[in-house]
Amino acid sequence: MQKRTDRTPLGWGPRRGRAYPSAGPSGGPGPALSHQTPLSSSGPHASCLDLWREKNDQLVRQAKVAQDSRQFLRRQQLAQDALEGFRELLHSLQGLPPAVPVLPLELTVTCNFITVKASLAQGFTEDQAQDIQQGLERVLETQEQLGPRQECGLRGLWDSVLHYSSVLLELLPALHHLAGLQAALWLSTDCLGDLTLLLQTLNGNQSEASEDLLHLLKTWSPPAEESDGPLTLQDARGLKDVLLTASAYRQGLQELITGSLPKALSSLQEAASGLCPRPVLVQVYTALGTCLRKMGSPQRALLYLVAALKGGSPWGPPLLEASRLYRQLGNTAAELESLELLVDALSVTHSSEVPQLFIEVELLLPQPDPASPLYCGTQSQAKYLLASRCLQIGRAVDAAEHYLDLLALLLDDSEPKFSPPPCPPGPCMPEVFLEAAAALIQAGRAQDALTVCEELLSRTSSLLPKMPLLWEDARKGTKESLHCPSWVSAIYMLQGRAWVQLGAPKEAISEFSRCLELLFRATPKDKEQGPASNCEQRCMSDVALQQLRVAALISRGLQWVASGQDTKALQDFLLSVQMCPGNRDASFHLLQTLRRMDRRDEAIALWWRLEAQAKLPQENAARSLPLYLETYLSWICSPDRETLLEEFQTSLLEPCDP
Amino acid sequence: MAGFAPRVQYLAGFRCPLGGLAAGKPRVLCHGAEIFVSTGSELVYVYDQDGRLLTAVYRFPGRVWHLELSTPRRALYALCAQKGIYCLSLDQASRSVSQGAGDDRDADEDDSEDSEDGEPPCPVSPVDPDACILPDATLCAFVVLDDMLITLAQGPAQWKVQLFGCPCPGEDARPPGQIGEVELSTSSPPAGSLGEPAAPHFLPVLCCASPPGCSGPRDRLRRSGGFVLERALFGLLFGVDASLLESPVVLCGLPDGQLCCVVLKTLVTSRLAPGDPKALVKILHHLEEPVVFIGALRTESPDMEDTHPDCLVALGHCGRVLAVRASWDEAGAVAPELQEYRLPGPVLCAACGGDGRVYHSTASGLCVVDLARGGAPPDPGQPDGGPGSLPSLLCPASLGVCSVVALSVLSEVPAGGTRLLALSARGRLMTCSLDLSSAVPCPPQGPVENTGQKIKELLSGIGTVSERVSSLKKAVDQRNQALACLNEAMNVSCVLLASREGPRPISCTVTTAWSRAQLRDVLTATCRVQNGSGFSLGRGWTWCVQVLTGSRASDPDPAGSATTYTIPVDRLGPGEQREVTLTLGPSDDGTLDLPVTVACALHYSLREVLGRALASSDSLEDPSLDGCPPDMLPEQEGICLPLSDHAVDMLQCLRFPGLASPPAQAPSLLGPTGDPVDTFLGACLGPRSEPAGPASLRAKFLPPSVATIKVSAALLKAALGAGQPGDGDPPGRSRAPAGCGDPSGEPLSGQPVPGTPCCRGASAEDGCGARCPELQPTRPPCPVSPPDPGQPRDTAAGGADAAGPAEHRRPSELVRHGRAAAAGVPAAAQPQPPPGVTPPPGGPSRCRDPVPDPGRRWVGGGAGGFGTGLLWGRGGVPGGGGVPSASFPGTEMVSVPCGPAWPETPHTAPFPPAAARWPRCTWLRWASPPWSTGAGPATSPAPGIGV
Repeated sequence: MQKRTDRTPLGWGPRRGRAYPSAGPSGGPGPALSHQTPLSSSGPHASCLDLWREKNDQLVRQAKVAQDSRQFLRRQQLAQDALEGFRELLHSLQGLPPAVPVLPLELTVTCNFITVKASLAQGFTEDQAQDIQQGLERVLETQEQLGPRQECGLRGLWDSVLHYSSVLLELLPALHHLAGLQAALWLSTDCLGDLTLLLQTLNGNQSEASEDLLHLLKTWSPPAEESDGPLTLQDARGLKDVLLTASAYRQGLQELITGSLPKALSSLQEAASGLCPRPVLVQVYTALGTCLRKMGSPQRALLYLVAALKGGSPWGPPLLEASRLYRQLGNTAAELESLELLVDALSVTHSSEVPQLFIEVELLLPQPDPASPLYCGTQSQAKYLLASRCLQIGRAVDAAEHYLDLLALLLDDSEPKFSPPPCPPGPCMPEVFLEAAAALIQAGRAQDALTVCEELLSRTSSLLPKMPLLWEDARKGTKESLHCPSWVSAIYMLQGRAWVQLGAPKEAISEFSRCLELLFRATPKDKEQGPASNCEQRCMSDVALQQLRVAALISRGLQWVASGQDTKALQDFLLSVQMCPGNRDASFHLLQTLRRMDRRDEAIALWWRLEAQAKLPQENAARSLPLYLETYLSWICSPDRETLLEEFQTSLLEPCDP
Repeated sequence: MAGFAPRVQYLAGFRCPLGGLAAGKPRVLCHGAEIFVSTGSELVYVYDQDGRLLTAVYRFPGRVWHLELSTPRRALYALCAQKGIYCLSLDQASRSVSQGAGDDRDADEDDSEDSEDGEPPCPVSPVDPDACILPDATLCAFVVLDDMLITLAQGPAQWKVQLFGCPCPGEDARPPGQIGEVELSTSSPPAGSLGEPAAPHFLPVLCCASPPGCSGPRDRLRRSGGFVLERALFGLLFGVDASLLESPVVLCGLPDGQLCCVVLKTLVTSRLAPGDPKALVKILHHLEEPVVFIGALRTESPDMEDTHPDCLVALGHCGRVLAVRASWDEAGAVAPELQEYRLPGPVLCAACGGDGRVYHSTASGLCVVDLARGGAPPDPGQPDGGPGSLPSLLCPASLGVCSVVALSVLSEVPAGGTRLLALSARGRLMTCSLDLSSAVPCPPQGPVENTGQKIKELLSGIGTVSERVSSLKKAVDQRNQALACLNEAMNVSCVLLASREGPRPISCTVTTAWSRAQLRDVLTATCRVQNGSGFSLGRGWTWCVQVLTGSRASDPDPAGSATTYTIPVDRLGPGEQREVTLTLGPSDDGTLDLPVTVACALHYSLREVLGRALASSDSLEDPSLDGCPPDMLPEQEGICLPLSDHAVDMLQCLRFPGLASPPAQAPSLLGPTGDPVDTFLGACLGPRSEPAGPASLRAKFLPPSVATIKVSAALLKAALGAGQPGDGDPPGRSRAPAGCGDPSGEPLSGQPVPGTPCCRGASAEDGCGARCPELQPTRPPCPVSPPDPGQPRDTAAGGADAAGPAEHRRPSELVRHGRAAAAGVPAAAQPQPPPGVTPPPGGPSRCRDPVPDPGRRWVGGGAGGFGTGLLWGRGGVPGGGGVPSASFPGTEMVSVPCGPAWPETPHTAPFPPAAARWPRCTWLRWASPPWSTGAGPATSPAPGIGV
């Protein structure tokens, strides 16, 4: 009865004539009139509203049947049919001027429609925002309040609607339901400011004005839906739980990325304690593990990771996180083992999970980008990670095997499924080939390395310049062709090294010479070049190019030394020192050659310079070189360099002492 | 062009909607001897080339937008609009069809084209909804590559490329495993939204490009909508990663003109590792018009090492062509060579053939361009035999096959020709065999004498084009002119229609006058149309004057006749006027059928204005610009705006011969100021003194006044004088004036009409007006038109004067009711009695003016006269007892002139046979007033009076 007295001031009665001009009191019976007497269930006038409601209930039941259907396609078709049904029902409802007694049903149908649509499309889009907006405008139309507020967008609409909802009590449950969907939409599109304001208005406690989203969500208590109301796919309370978990998780993840770890920890724990589907729980535990690892409690982090792994798929993120943890702990064996497990885990094809037909937590989570701690990439990316780690820590045999596996994975298309390559977060494809070759050389499999290089050359030969390339001209061409020479020269250098290993110095020297010929056509004066694309940066930086030249010069010099042509060797070493005065390897090789050639004075001068350099802080750590180049540089540096220098000191400088 | 003589062979016809098949959605595919045809409807036909018959028809659950064949799997994939992708196993399908359709084969073996009209002869086998392998309402295109299914779905804001492991038909109903997905960033988001897109006008185009050496033979790729590209071009277009991985690339041509590519092997999946569009999608080009075709061809003669297509071609809907191939710059670096061309559009469909030919169908026909040989002959300056560049200009050669909406290159016949499979807009499936080896499509390779011919052809072509341009320009001008005219007409119509009350801005006045022409007195009407509006009446306007004669002008009495004069209004600017004088009568036999209604109207002929503009649109125009064909405009289509109706009645034509005026004066008998009735009424209403006393009450409460004018029959008789009344009048040519029985025994009417007298204002028994005491002023009527001896009077008045008082006392009266609130009369609520005329308080009193006023023309009822009543009623209750009106116990009367010429000639108007004798001037005849609204006298038996 309270409602009845409340409704009077709204003037539904007087407005009836306006809303239904064709339906005078003496108007004929018709379906359009039925909702004028919604409370009387008897008589022909009530039938249409009942029919609509029955239709809604039937569609909800159909969606639930679809939900339970085991057959994916059947399910999908049922769900699409239900969506169409909701759309039609909504059209017929919105074809009439809005009326307060019909609005609860209309809003409920809108909510169901949005729910099915979002879950079918696996996400919220602008469409749903429009649906919500239309629903709100319909509410406002009954209050004649449309118009001036339209420019305020959804926020303004919500303000006005909730302002009137105090007098539209029967609309409240449906409005809260719609507000829940709006919150989900804003959460998934990161409109947190709007969301906070909406929740504050919903809670009606603007004075307290708590800014904490989680707190606001917790205090939001949507009114219970009437038991005799139209059926819903997911009620406002269910939505609230989902929202709470999703926002806690999002918030925690955000804080984890920005580095406010204690906050992240509490938010994530909040998310873990909420209503959480299993796959989400795995991710939450993984994020907790990451957080704890960064906070310096690896043991607790491990506990969470174990819990995450027990949770089942997806296994990727916790395994990757475990490898990072072990790496931090220095447990190389465990790290590599978890990476191997990761590769295996990612090779399992995801049976694409059947999405539920209501708003789930997953729907509201951000898409993980490569910067996210939960990004685990694909199988080949994991394989690459494993291989490159092996190469970095010196497990050359394993690295070679893993690289060969990776290449097979990428190039072999006998496999029915495609395995994405490490691109784009990883290196570009030619570098993977180069690293594979370097690993093979490192592992002593020079012949295999040559094969890999041949393969790389043959596959890219069509892109290589047919004539000797002038660097300036190349810059006019595509960016790819600009950097072709750098990795092509790297191929030549690796081939030379492989020939060295195979004991064929002639071939080796000719490869090194080809390499140097290519390299020295490229003068490193492209500084003025504009912002280089990602790929360019990944392919070759100026420093790397310099190092590449030095490495090639030293390699050829060493070959000259081995073949006893000290003069030629000296020339190369001198060039390399000129090229990169700070390179201790080049200086050392020059020193040795000078000493062997008995050019004592020059050797002493060089030695002094080396000494002076040694006192300067080392800058080697700053430079980032491609892994294959790092590996290569490690080959041309003599391991006992310092002892040899000591020896020089005694042998060269002694005669000067007296 | 000469050299192309396609041999067209019709294979079959399919049902197509009215207006033909739309381009973009029909498909023809060929697999061995089987041809699969989709016309864009729900049906997919399978035609057997060997047996030359239709072997199967499948009905899909939705309109089929795309069709793909997977030959290794022997499966047919179809994309149904807003449903998803369905898959049919060809083996199963053919089996089931052969069982079901066995009986029908004999029936349609003789002529497969029977199927064109009715239902196809084959039983239509509906496709099971369970055959849907990918239900997704947003799918717009797909392509099948080996065991992968690549789809393009329309999202709310962008396109989404998805990669699925292709499920086999008949596999368990599991969702196809999604391998990868990436969103294409488009500059303009596709219209429509999830689930409810209106059928897009243009569908995106998908196709696969593979590097050589990639698995799968070339045929396989080619059949499933893909092609293999030469290595250098592939690496240039798609990057070194793609060529290192030897990954197929999917090319998307979007309706907004973007041409972008996605390297399939880099497509990653799962929510945990979504693809980054920036890294995965590469935009190759922007055609700026919807992409309708992507293909590849070989522009160079195949050498040993690489026979793969070395040129990528994309066609836009409006005819823009992009061709890309790899070339080497002078430094030896690989660089893409991009060339854009313009072809006459709109392109309906296209296909790439061998030898660098692109076949494309436009509205005007199927054409071929040659990208390999279309350019200049090999430059002798390039001794190294390096790759020749693309031609700088394409000249399409027509193949003479029209309106092809789907095209597929069947095979290269060994002789060097090509067979095309085409589906026409009318639903006909045909093969065109082209013998291209002998064809010389482009001029540069012809001999010199051909060049002259060619130039001539080109010049004549230019001439044709310029002719066409000028004619089109003329048509546009005409349309503009017509639009301006229409606008003016609309303005005029609005002005006229808006001013219902008050003076109309465009008015028409009619005045009548007697004039003498060719020794006859003729009654002429002068119509004058005056344009008082701010708009001018220009071309297309016609001024129509309709002269309605006969007893009843108001309804189409067959007795009456109507003559319509149309006067073209050439140009009637604001403030201008135009007048025309018409002869109203009498006719050759001397009769004058009164009253005559002169109705003026303005007519605007749409045909005249629009006809030329519409006729100028010729049939060669783009059918999309279909104008209204001229014959859609009915002949009489136009706007008719009635201006005024004017009745010329008896009184306006009265002339008294006795008052013989000099003939020179006769024409001005009834001048504009001389209408006695108007003058009378004007005088009645004229002085607008504020009514006092009872008069004011009457003014308030009484209906509009009716005035009665009586002419005594005796007076008339006397006036008509000497001859025996009615002597020469054959019976039956005059209608008896109803209610004009003459108790005095004076047979005015041979046969008194019983019943209600038509002259309600004037009782038949006691003489008109006798029982209408109110009608009679207590005093002699004031001069209606104050006599002004100095002023020259019109002939009638003069005639009356001249006739002398003796005649004024004729008992006969003409009675005329006043026109209350008539159009031409000031709209007083009721006519005020003239000053000095005070209506008697009651009681009949006859007042006879003893002193005839020479200026007085109107007379009150004569004593004892049995008048014949004339009455005009408008609005008020004519003759109602309580009607205040002015009655004129006349001492004067209107002189009725006996026309000198025509009374002898008999009337031809069908008078009632009862009519007996009439005075000689029988042409005076009363009929229902043209402005009567149907009530009152007009509905009563038509009274006529012959005087």
